Amino acid sequence: MNQSEGSTMNDIDKKLVVIRNDNRVGIMAHLVAGYPSMKKTESIAKTMANAGVDFLELQMPFSDPIADGPAIMNACSRSLAGGTKITEFMKSIKSISKNVSVPLIIMAYYNNVFKYGVDVFCSDAKYFGASGLIVPDMPIDEEQSEHFMGNAKKHGLYTIRVISPVSTHERLKKNAKGAEGFVYCTSRQGITGVHKELNNNIEGYLKRVRKEFKIPLAVGFGISRKEHVRTLAGHADVVVIGSAILNIINKHPRNEEKNVGRFIKSISGIKVH
Amino acid sequence: MKRHFGIFGGRYVPELLIPALEELENEYKLAKNDPRFKREFKYHLNSFAGRPTPLTLADNLTKKLGGAKIYLKNEGLNHTGAHKITHCIGHALMAKRMGKGRIIAETGAGQHGLASAAVAARFGLSCTVYMGETDIIRQRPNVFWMKSLGAEVVPVRNGNKTLKDAVNAAIRDWIENVDNSYYLLGSVVGPHPYPTMTRDFQSVVGKEARKQILKEEKKLPDIVTACIGGGSNAMGIFSGFINKDTVELVGVEAGGTDSTIGKHSSRITGGSIGVVEGYKSIFLQDKDGQLQKTHSIAAGLDYAGLGPEIAYLHSKNRIRIKKASDAEALNAFKMLSRYEGIFPALESAHAIAYAIKKAPRIGKDKIIIANISGRGDKDLFIIASAFKDKNFGSFLKDESERREYHE
Ligand SMILES: Cc1ncc(COP(=O)(O)O)c(C=O)c1O
Repeated sequence: MNQSEGSTMNDIDKKLVVIRNDNRVGIMAHLVAGYPSMKKTESIAKTMANAGVDFLELQMPFSDPIADGPAIMNACSRSLAGGTKITEFMKSIKSISKNVSVPLIIMAYYNNVFKYGVDVFCSDAKYFGASGLIVPDMPIDEEQSEHFMGNAKKHGLYTIRVISPVSTHERLKKNAKGAEGFVYCTSRQGITGVHKELNNNIEGYLKRVRKEFKIPLAVGFGISRKEHVRTLAGHADVVVIGSAILNIINKHPRNEEKNVGRFIKSISGIKVH
Repeated sequence: MKRHFGIFGGRYVPELLIPALEELENEYKLAKNDPRFKREFKYHLNSFAGRPTPLTLADNLTKKLGGAKIYLKNEGLNHTGAHKITHCIGHALMAKRMGKGRIIAETGAGQHGLASAAVAARFGLSCTVYMGETDIIRQRPNVFWMKSLGAEVVPVRNGNKTLKDAVNAAIRDWIENVDNSYYLLGSVVGPHPYPTMTRDFQSVVGKEARKQILKEEKKLPDIVTACIGGGSNAMGIFSGFINKDTVELVGVEAGGTDSTIGKHSSRITGGSIGVVEGYKSIFLQDKDGQLQKTHSIAAGLDYAGLGPEIAYLHSKNRIRIKKASDAEALNAFKMLSRYEGIFPALESAHAIAYAIKKAPRIGKDKIIIANISGRGDKDLFIIASAFKDKNFGSFLKDESERREYHE
């Protein structure tokens, strides 16, 4: 990575420096765009930014999200039933990025990116204010035919690699090559969704990842409580909260912002011991 | 092994599944060249599935239509009633070889689920089958038989509640249980190496058909036709003739009720290139890349994706793709039953419908082989209601009152 000039540093890197200097665990919060509505997505995003999240991960809903569990799946189909289109999604990126100062990361399944046009998708995403992309079903092996990472780079977007506890040494090495921003480590082998307990081999796994990746580690999947974040402090640089937020939204219709904000406050600012 | 078919195919899955797919590919490379594996596969095909299946001359139908000679490759005579048992045996042997105690399958028509449940019972594996709620209702007999064979049948209630949603659910299960479970994908779709493996297993159908027609006619056919859901029965029979350019290969998709969105499953007429469920191919999707609703009277053809190798061979003009409507399939069902004493599955009836249309238009010296991928028993309820069989309807009503189904 070449980040000699501070001004051209990606916002993701800048934020990671802040988190490290604060000596705390960073938070990335996830939302499915258009769920429960686009207006709500925007106002919840704003609330979360004010409550202390460091990164916002905004998911473009997809009809066939194979890596997602019930909460996100349901949010995707409800959002699509409500009429969410990619053009609207891009507009929401624009309006959120104008209103909040935290880096925005787009999560999308590859088919949405592909149909929009990989080059145009990356160019629009950047133009409207995103800093990075997470596309879980676009493995590094298909780059040769897709030029996805190449296009993202061209437009100044980071592509966040996602790895898991079953990733072999060889796969970690392959993914570490050219990895940018942070590496997204799924806490367990599975789909998204809230779990009571964290994977108890997580420390060994994260150590294994650290050996290969020279960039910070984000850990996601199943993180829903303050204790989870505490356990991860010192092992992970950032935690990702996804389904837990959706569950709060589902539990408190009309009062989403207040409840989500309270939850984010409760888990943010946890120091690295 | 090649991961792509031209621009199609590939392995577009979360990183989580890559080690499992690599392991599967590596193990398959070994198995493919292992004489013992090949021997065992053949043994179970013959002694359990009932292979080889016959190639039957449909002489009454041929006379009636007055054109090309029609032969039927009757895969419906396989144990469990369809070609699906063939690749299921291959995959179950792989599961055993890899030490997996559980298989996961998805099913549309229930034929792949049924075959999976049967091989699981036979090979001592546990089996979970995902099935869309819509398909559970329309293919109820197969649900009953799957459960009788000891499989767990899990209804899928999200999305369109049909085959594609069952595939998604099965993939999710596999992601969660990749250590101990083998994903027995039911067609030549999904990420590499599935399309290649399943085609290889099914290629026995084409080998048999080629040998049988050469014995019978001393020459190769002019046309080979098969219905296309994902494409497993088509790739199976086509692979026996693919290296002979003089044999025209015709796949038949579900034309449904009409060509508007949600009323058919013809990816070639209504679809575009996309990347879904782990592979790049042609999908019925909107301009954002969201999969569209599909329809067919045949649950096994009611699917938004197309096997990547089929998409490739179509792009190279090696396979032609046609469609048959629900009504044409029902008519083909009726004709084959009346004239030949064979009732095809509604899926297979689509290929028969094409043969019926084509035969009179070409000379009597021509030969068509139509693949009957399965038999029609599973479709009893749909067919009885499509033919408005009042007697059967009142029988069902009376029967439900007559019998005790509860404790
Ligand atoms: C009898 C029969 N034929 C055809 C199909 C379609 O699958 P494929 O195109 O993979 O052969 C099915 C699928 O369920 C089936 O049961």
